[in-house]
Amino acid sequence: MKRGNILIENIIFIVLNLIFLSILIAFLGIKSADVSPLEEKLAKEIALIIDGAKPGMKITYNLKDVLENADENYDGKIISIDKNIVTVRLHEKGGYSYSFFSDVDVSPLYFYNDGKTNFYEITVGEKK
Amino acid sequence: MKKLNCRGGDKIISIYWFFILFLVAGAIAYMAASFYGKPYDVRDAELRILSNKIADCVSSGGYINENILEDNNVNENFEKDFLKRCKLNFDVEDYQNWQDDQFFALVQFYEFDDTKGDLLGEFVDEISVGNVNLRSLCNMDGKNLPICLNRMFYTLDKENHEYIIKILSVVRKTEKNE
Repeated sequence: MKRGNILIENIIFIVLNLIFLSILIAFLGIKSADVSPLEEKLAKEIALIIDGAKPGMKITYNLKDVLENADENYDGKIISIDKNIVTVRLHEKGGYSYSFFSDVDVSPLYFYNDGKTNFYEITVGEKK
Repeated sequence: MKKLNCRGGDKIISIYWFFILFLVAGAIAYMAASFYGKPYDVRDAELRILSNKIADCVSSGGYINENILEDNNVNENFEKDFLKRCKLNFDVEDYQNWQDDQFFALVQFYEFDDTKGDLLGEFVDEISVGNVNLRSLCNMDGKNLPICLNRMFYTLDKENHEYIIKILSVVRKTEKNE
């Protein structure tokens, strides 16, 4: 009877420990897989690049890391620029917007390079 | 009796063990949340770029740009169209009641005076654009405050009169950067 009690207590103790550690690992996994910080970083980076650019400049951005982290089920625009607001969206229920203060015309376009890497090209022009 | 004491000791150890586990987990959760939850603060870079753009707009090649100063006053049309002429746009995204009030810029023209320590002679005129309320928050300490950058440089007009131009740039956007 006593031996049985000790065994059950030990099993409960180990199971509780395992549950606890699993929750902790799951929390860290969810946090590190969250693409929101990447959306924020990309939106702010592009806004700053446009702010610092002079009319006539072409900026090419390698999207390899970004596309690796984007939601596979999401097929909308990853980067969009409307007036002076950059929006980056890597999953359906997300998105991060940041404004730039340079009053310039930005004409964005995608192009595919050697079948491996996607680039995003931004052309900064004078406001008409 | 001895065995009872031993089992009591085991329970204390397991309570202590769970206490340590919760403590470690709490610390890890707090660190992860603060690392992933804190936004990147890019306002320093924004301010430097804004300040440079304004300086390039009012002066180039060491001379004040034409049509800015007329009879020691800032040209009214230039002041009215300052944002357009300097190719700036202070509109911002819709976010937490932001109403295009996240920027402020002040350009002050002073006569150059090398007898004074700060080289600032008589005040000539100034141009201000954006949310003027942000200016008073520049010298305050605390959270949720805008950040400010003061810059000044020496320049000449076309008649070789010497001036000092002071530029104060302010960016708020605290909710997205702090």
